[in-house]
Amino acid sequence: MTRQLLNPKESGNRTEGEQRTLPPFQETSSSRTTPVLRLNGLTVQIQQGRRITPIVGDASFTIHPGETLALVGESGSGKSVTAGAILGLLPPSMRVTAGQIVFQGEDIAPWPVKKRRILCGGRIGYVFQDYQGSFTPFIKIGKQMIETIRSHRRLSAKQAKAVALESLDQVGLPAERVFDSYPFQLSGGQLQRAALASTMVLRPAILIADEPTTALDVLTGERVLDVMDRLKRQTGCAVLFISHDLRLVLKRADSVAVMRGGSIVEWGRTNAIRDHARHPYTQMLLKARPSLSEIQAGLVREDEDELVVACKMGGSA
Amino acid sequence: MNELLRAEGISKTYLDSGREVMAVQDVSLHIGEGECLGVVGESGSGKSTLGRLLLALERPEQGNIKFQGVSFADLRGKALHSLRRHIQVVFQDPTASLNQRLPVWRSVMEPLDNFPEVTPPFLADVRHSRRESAARLLEMVGLSREHLDRYPHELSGGQRQRVAIARGVSLNPKLLICDEPTSSLDVSVQAQILKLLKHLQTRLGMACLFISHDIAAVRMICDRIIVMKDGRIVDEFASRRIMGEDRHAYTRLLIRAAE
Repeated sequence: MTRQLLNPKESGNRTEGEQRTLPPFQETSSSRTTPVLRLNGLTVQIQQGRRITPIVGDASFTIHPGETLALVGESGSGKSVTAGAILGLLPPSMRVTAGQIVFQGEDIAPWPVKKRRILCGGRIGYVFQDYQGSFTPFIKIGKQMIETIRSHRRLSAKQAKAVALESLDQVGLPAERVFDSYPFQLSGGQLQRAALASTMVLRPAILIADEPTTALDVLTGERVLDVMDRLKRQTGCAVLFISHDLRLVLKRADSVAVMRGGSIVEWGRTNAIRDHARHPYTQMLLKARPSLSEIQAGLVREDEDELVVACKMGGSA
Repeated sequence: MNELLRAEGISKTYLDSGREVMAVQDVSLHIGEGECLGVVGESGSGKSTLGRLLLALERPEQGNIKFQGVSFADLRGKALHSLRRHIQVVFQDPTASLNQRLPVWRSVMEPLDNFPEVTPPFLADVRHSRRESAARLLEMVGLSREHLDRYPHELSGGQRQRVAIARGVSLNPKLLICDEPTSSLDVSVQAQILKLLKHLQTRLGMACLFISHDIAAVRMICDRIIVMKDGRIVDEFASRRIMGEDRHAYTRLLIRAAE
């Protein structure tokens, strides 16, 4: 029994009620699956005039198929830049200066732009916070989806339409109606689900979701994340879930990487981060947003000393 | 607890592309002196319209709002002006609510300049000097004298919201209406701003109407909570009863999402 408890692999697999069996954290699982994505010491620098400043420094993490890794940080932490580097969509002033981006076993960082572009939107799917920007305003959703599909797959327009409709249906939208709609005719939640349908239709190996629900209402956001989880289970793709909200991702992710000032300060399995966060910054993020039951249980004290500290911090925050 | 404000059956409609939309429907509520009342709802639930009605920025088509027993509808000119002294506001976006071309101390002093006859107790010894008054107000919200001459763009989002709060409390209002005051801020900064608001509310003994989509934040600082959906109040309860058996199905959904 003791031996079992000490062996994370076995005890991990024994957790019943978990719908997904997850590859154990970090390198222990490398024998079983090839990671979809592995960042190895990724460093991104920004050039402003003559000044060169690092904005992501030595970032490393691994995502396996079917796994959701959440990359959490506040504004300016470098999490979106990391996503941009993986997608090959960095603005011209930013450059990957060191490290590897290993996608399905191959380092894609040195690839030429053209080759990267085929990958991005195809094998590497993405949705962003700004769902308005996911579609061109004056072209119907369906037409845009067909265009996306046919630029990556050799399908007839008719076949592509069938695939698009099926995909819209899978995200719980009235497929025919949405297919014939302009983006402005849909609500924010519907648009974000249509964006998911549009990117998942190409069966990416990994989905990068950058703050996908931040611009949405709480309940609308929950529905979008439910759809994202379901698609992940159905297709077995990996998800890189980028968010500023640690509480939110604790409910959704298998592992969590916390970013601050361009560096990953802590990376671990979700349970470990939730219950035994080691880094003071992670602890602070958890404390900043207690769950309702923690508030209810009175675990959050209105500490006067703490307030004074908070006020003082305000001077530099 | 004495009653400060009471709204009875207020309704407000908007025209949205020719269609009438009931933003607020038959809403009744009351706020006691020094009480913190939370209003929770999603976008389009009518919570911000409710805030604007209680600020007397708009008038309800039906119903009546009374502040300390005096009906809003009877207030004109000078009387309305003096009502504004007692009901102040902090909006979501401090970038929009502060004048970008003024150093923050001038923005902070705007309400006091509009009410030269008012001297709040916490400014009693410095009211003769505008800069000293502004410095005192900034200190109250955790900023310092060195921020006086900064412009809004030189401050962080959290600092700008502190400036907006300093302005909101400067007249020592009886009621401070906060409309999503933390929604555009980073998580760690949100917690600081919530603590600051709670601290000021207790210290100054002012009532607070806290409008937010974040039910956990509302639970943390409010005494009582109202839940709005489609312009109506669907649930109302004391904060500590949030997990109670008698919660509305919609409230339960919001709670589940916040777990």
